[in-house]
Amino acid sequence: MTDNVWEMTLERLDDTVSVLDLKPGTVKYLKEPRKILEISIPVKMDDGDIEIFKGYRVQHNTNRGPAKGGIRYHQDVTLDEIKALSMLMTWKCSLVNIPFGGAKGGIIVDPYKVSKRELEKLTRRYTYELLPFIGPEKDIPAPDVGTNAQIMAWIMDTYSIAKGYMVPGVVTGKPISLGGSQGREEATSRGAVYTILSALKVLGITTSNLTVAVQGFGNVGSHAAKILYDLGFKIIALSDVTGAIQSKNGIDPYKLSDFIRTKPLVDYPDAEKMDPLKFFETKCDILIPAALENQITAKNASTIKAKIIAEGANAPTTPDADPILKDNNIFIIPDVLCNSGGVTVSYFEWVQGNDAYFWSKRKVNLQLRDIMEKAFYEVYDFSKDRKLDMRNAALALAVSRVAEAMRIRGIYP
Amino acid sequence: MLRKVECFIQPFKLDEVKDALFDVGIEGMSISEVKGFGKQRGYTNGGTPNRTVKFLPKIKMEIVVEEEIVDDLIKTIVKLTKTGDFGSGKIFVIPVEDAIRIRTEESGKSAII
Repeated sequence: MTDNVWEMTLERLDDTVSVLDLKPGTVKYLKEPRKILEISIPVKMDDGDIEIFKGYRVQHNTNRGPAKGGIRYHQDVTLDEIKALSMLMTWKCSLVNIPFGGAKGGIIVDPYKVSKRELEKLTRRYTYELLPFIGPEKDIPAPDVGTNAQIMAWIMDTYSIAKGYMVPGVVTGKPISLGGSQGREEATSRGAVYTILSALKVLGITTSNLTVAVQGFGNVGSHAAKILYDLGFKIIALSDVTGAIQSKNGIDPYKLSDFIRTKPLVDYPDAEKMDPLKFFETKCDILIPAALENQITAKNASTIKAKIIAEGANAPTTPDADPILKDNNIFIIPDVLCNSGGVTVSYFEWVQGNDAYFWSKRKVNLQLRDIMEKAFYEVYDFSKDRKLDMRNAALALAVSRVAEAMRIRGIYP
Repeated sequence: MLRKVECFIQPFKLDEVKDALFDVGIEGMSISEVKGFGKQRGYTNGGTPNRTVKFLPKIKMEIVVEEEIVDDLIKTIVKLTKTGDFGSGKIFVIPVEDAIRIRTEESGKSAII
């Protein structure tokens, strides 16, 4: 077992393809990113001196359509991490069956330690260097860790200036005023909720008086809590970086959202504090890890009492925890399925931008539901047919679609 | 965009729903007395695998509204008609291409407000 994220991703892929009857050459092809771009980005800083930043863009696969994936700004970005995440995007887009391949980009920078001006210059120069590689028909960036709608707007503007006309389809996650999609902000959470509702249906659990624990109260966690609350679920435990709270009577996530604008979550008056290390022991029906990676491990997996784990975060469960959860009959909605609502609405944004015709929020949500339900049942049926768990079924189904697209396109020349 | 919200509800809920919808500003609706069956095949107590399907009386309520208020309308109807038991009913949302008020010949949104 390695702790290099790229090698871990490849090992994981090897496990998956073993159930798929693929030729060794196909597997080799799927492992290699199609293009890796490493850019040095000079920026004239506010103090007048020049700083050099390092940026990457990796296009892992484009067999099913243009590459799609976020750009992260973080001081710990590595090329191996970007490669691994670009591959994950390929599988994610394939799984929800949207016509994209996978990509990821990043810049080694702490976005909170540079000024807004420097951030804009950095973004625009990075975009300029990427000009030959990105575009609505080639590779479409999106926000990720450390990037936001403003940064997407700068990317779109830089690209559009170079082209001589406005090209909204070059990025997604734009502000609504610039062609962003309705419902984009809560898309990941809404998608996750649709997979949870489908899971309850196939497990034969009726959706009244169900209890939910959400780890993480950021974008994904807070919206998931609100949507479930609106549907009549009881949110009995919540946590964020400041700590964890619980209440048998349920927590109103709207009130909590207002509260944490000024005060830490743990001080919320209508709930009791709890030990964050015991968060996963909460007796609930649905557990939603929506915070960081590697939260559910071999150490705490056996204490989990939930019926369903819906992985809102990326890779919240370590591989060694999976067999324990399986033995305890916990139904897992794996990350690649559960949190793919975000990229799905990104796809809608790209479609709307290319069409220059925009949808109502209701239409976005209904189309999202269609795609998420379809993806859920495809994975579920595949898992039953092939006697796989949901995680392996999701990955195997996604990989098989990319392999099929590659086979039928063939290798040029 | 206009949508028709077509609801099949229990007859005894009709008056309550009608009054509540009028109070929230719904400007018109049509109802019909219909019969139907669903997953329980017309039996409200479950566990009747070998008996024939039977029809139960229902009210069909049709309301044409703008898309923006569909979700709120559904919420209101569900809140009032949900009994927790089988047979509470169903709601369908259907796109409406156009609406015309015959008296004035107004069309679209103007025809329903």
